[in-house]
Amino acid sequence: AGFLLLLLVSNLLLFVLSHYIHNLSSEMFSEFDKRYTHGRGFITRTINSCHTSSLPTPEDKEQAQQINQKDFLSLIVSILRSWNEPLYHLVTEVRGMQEAPEAILSKAVEIEEQTKRLLEGMELIVSQVHPETKENEIYPVWSGLPSLQMADEESRLSAYYNLLHCLRRDSHKIDNYLKLLKCRIIHNNNC
Amino acid sequence: MDLWQLLLTLALAGSSDAFSGSEDSSKEPKFTKCRSPERETFSCHWTDAVHRGSKSLGPIQLFYTRRNIQEWTQEWKECPDYVSAGENSCYFNSSFTSIWIPYCIKLTSNGGTVDEKCFSVDEIVQPDPPIALNWTLLNVSLTGIHADIQVRWEAPPNADIQKGWMVLEYELQYKEVNETQWKMMDPILSTSVPVYSLKVDKEYEVRVRSKQRNSGNYGEFSEVLYVTLPQMNQFTCEEDFYFPWLLIIIFGIFGLTVMLFVFLFSKQQRIKMLILPPVPVPKIKGIDPDLLKEGKLEEVNTILAIHDSYKPEFHSDDSWVEFIELDIDEPDEKNEGSDTDRLLSSDHQKSHSNLGVKDGDSGRTSCYEPDILETDFNANDIHEGASEVAQPQRLKGETDLLCLDQKNQNKSPYHDACPATQQPSVIQAEKNKPQPLPTDGAESTHQAAHIQLSNPSSLANIDFYAQVSDITPAGSVVLSPGQKNKAGMSQCDMHLEMVSLCQENFIMDNAYFCEADAKKCIPVAPHIKVESHIEPSFNQEDIYITTESLTTTAGRPGTTEHIPGSEMPVPDYTSIHLVQSPQGLILNATALPLPDKEFLSSCGYVSTDQLNKIMP
Repeated sequence: AGFLLLLLVSNLLLFVLSHYIHNLSSEMFSEFDKRYTHGRGFITRTINSCHTSSLPTPEDKEQAQQINQKDFLSLIVSILRSWNEPLYHLVTEVRGMQEAPEAILSKAVEIEEQTKRLLEGMELIVSQVHPETKENEIYPVWSGLPSLQMADEESRLSAYYNLLHCLRRDSHKIDNYLKLLKCRIIHNNNC
Repeated sequence: MDLWQLLLTLALAGSSDAFSGSEDSSKEPKFTKCRSPERETFSCHWTDAVHRGSKSLGPIQLFYTRRNIQEWTQEWKECPDYVSAGENSCYFNSSFTSIWIPYCIKLTSNGGTVDEKCFSVDEIVQPDPPIALNWTLLNVSLTGIHADIQVRWEAPPNADIQKGWMVLEYELQYKEVNETQWKMMDPILSTSVPVYSLKVDKEYEVRVRSKQRNSGNYGEFSEVLYVTLPQMNQFTCEEDFYFPWLLIIIFGIFGLTVMLFVFLFSKQQRIKMLILPPVPVPKIKGIDPDLLKEGKLEEVNTILAIHDSYKPEFHSDDSWVEFIELDIDEPDEKNEGSDTDRLLSSDHQKSHSNLGVKDGDSGRTSCYEPDILETDFNANDIHEGASEVAQPQRLKGETDLLCLDQKNQNKSPYHDACPATQQPSVIQAEKNKPQPLPTDGAESTHQAAHIQLSNPSSLANIDFYAQVSDITPAGSVVLSPGQKNKAGMSQCDMHLEMVSLCQENFIMDNAYFCEADAKKCIPVAPHIKVESHIEPSFNQEDIYITTESLTTTAGRPGTTEHIPGSEMPVPDYTSIHLVQSPQGLILNATALPLPDKEFLSSCGYVSTDQLNKIMP
């Protein structure tokens, strides 16, 4: 536990990164919604699950307090790993759009880059604190690429909406989890 | 007209009633608001249907559903708690609350869905208002009109900040009591913030509200905090009244300036003298200041040349004239060892030196040489007398170091010769001390040349050379007095012939001789005696050759031999062939008889011939 404390303290940038990524995701989603899907009832269609829903992540405060440190770190790493590919395709597809929205594209690019950095930092910590953790843990695979390329505009917009909505949610999860870890380990539950 | 208006109004009223009535009757319950104050529970509220008439709707029910893992089950569940949140509300406690899982709720009445809504809990988070607002005074401005305060508060108690479950940001608003518009500050994450520039005499209201960072909405405002800043009367008093120091100062300065100018430009010389005394201008006696003004330096120079204190410029060419200094008063310096001593690396002490005069470098002119030179004599006692006699002559009004100024030159030969001979006489400083470095020899030659040049009209018997007797540690050259002076002025006349002979020898033969031997040329009986003593230790092989007398060297040995034993024509100078420090100096020899073997110990230097004999 002391070693994790040391690593977290020496990597405070990770907490800043997670907050930054969530901010960008929220903004990106808001801009997309305002421009393409607002008032069209897409929100009801977000019933579509996110590809990371299969992970046994804590869904409330009680569960977050009960999960152990090692599992917590592994979950965070898994979520981050699972977003590598979707972010890559998101950037590619938005870039290829006709009249690509610059604001959304720039944010997508930035999110992809910062998520990679965050993942590297977390993997480093995990390898130091829990070296027994297998290098290639299974993580959820995203298979939404075909839906992003659908010809039907409505379906395509719905796919984008869902992807951005899930991105906002998962970035918020990461940010919250790291905050919980920070308060638990560094401040001893007394932030 | 009035009737139509009345009918129109009634019709409108009726229609409006009808409309509202129809709306009321068909009004359905709707969700008004769903809220989660701490992200652990949430509640939803709806409007109750307003019924007009007898028609009543069935009981309103709320059903919710949430998407489980990767499945969207359309299984609607009924609200777990209709009571806790009040009328027309549904309360979901922590077990029913999931954060990142979306919810859908619907309102039903008589089986029919009246309203539906989907959301995630983060979206409906609205924290409670902050509590425990207070303020403290930071500082008051210098004028006493404005003040800064620090407002502090605490997070709502149900928001779990400690574990990091919630991160709140706050917004503070303030206004004067009688104002209507609130001033807003930027959102902050901390629970205290400074508020600047509040007016001291006004009362303010302050309130704070909180929001979850990055999601949700602002919660309700906290209770209003009333801020009343204490009045500070002394400051206000100072503002109202102040003694006009500034005006007084300004006017005072102005008045003084006026008075000063009146004095300055007035014709009253007396007052002017008091305030502005005249500055003395440079003046030199006998010189018209106009000359100085216009830079006529040549005229000034000629004028100044009349003055005794003024030395002609050309003397500056001869630096040696000025720099040869003798200091009677510093015996210690000389005792420590001159350069010649060091050259010989001998321990020859000057203990025998009397007079207590050891260092002849500083503060003395060459006229004072005999004092120092006496100390170097082998037989000090005898020479002391001579030096003492010679001394007063030297000290007599001789400002020129070598007593070779024009004044001396213009004097009678005898008179000049005597003091003049003092200077160039070469006296060996020590018995065993060789002549100092070639530089001294060069100086001597220079001296000789100079003397000869500067005194073309002087008699040949004037001794223009001065032997360098020693080099003081300070670097000054110690000259010994001429042979003539050893005899004293009174004796010069008597021994003129001898002196002349000696002079010739000195000038022409330029023989180097020991100090003792120098005395041989002085036809003083007691001195001669001494010289005879010293004579054996000195040989004529040591010859100093000046640049002037190179050609005459050969012709002189004979002359020297004419002089009887005690009066050997002793050459004054011997050019130094080479320096073998510290063993001695090898001097060029003229065609003189070879020395005895004693010469080595006598003069401390060796001529080349002598050397050749000694070391074949």
